[in-house]
Amino acid sequence: MNQRNNMEKIKFNQKIYSLDMIKETAKQFKDLAEIKINPQNNYIEVQLDEIDQKVREIIKDEFANYVLGLMS
Amino acid sequence: MSNNEDFKYTISGNEQIIEFVLNTKIYSLPVISQAAYFFLDKVYILLDGDPKKEIIVKMKLKNKQEKIIDFADNFYNELLNQLLRVGISKSNSKIREYIVSKALYNAVPNEVDELLKEVEEEDWQEDPLGIAQTWDEKNDESKK
Repeated sequence: MNQRNNMEKIKFNQKIYSLDMIKETAKQFKDLAEIKINPQNNYIEVQLDEIDQKVREIIKDEFANYVLGLMS
Repeated sequence: MSNNEDFKYTISGNEQIIEFVLNTKIYSLPVISQAAYFFLDKVYILLDGDPKKEIIVKMKLKNKQEKIIDFADNFYNELLNQLLRVGISKSNSKIREYIVSKALYNAVPNEVDELLKEVEEEDWQEDPLGIAQTWDEKNDESKK
């Protein structure tokens, strides 16, 4: 079993990124981390907990790329 | 950190991160996101800013052997490509809609055409009830 630890946060601008796309991305990444989505004032904060050690370095950036890919 | 006044980008993070500030009066959000899409396999991208004023595009290298500066000029070229694509798409939208609607209209069987076909197929010379016959023809004693 892969080790899981650490936490990462990504802030997506609500005027640019849609909540639906972020939710869809979270579904795709659910096996790699525990994901919490918190819509705030101007940003949607995505918190990644219990990250799979294998992807710890890249998960935050890959998550953002995936959302952008869905938008385009 | 370094700046380029001609193309307006900032390089930081040990030459791994580049940041563009783009005026949305020139490059709209769809244009920027489409252009960014082409670089998703090479760099990590995060967008920020206000779509009504300016969009900030942050790019981070995936492969640290590459140079982030190489992406700067290519990104501006891609923005121009997408700008042109969106422009053409807008100017052709009416004719595109017309072609699609015409194709769909022709694909659906037309009710009037079907009625005309039915009428054409009917044999108007047949008279099974004998209503086209004159009184004399009906009551001709010599034929009885």
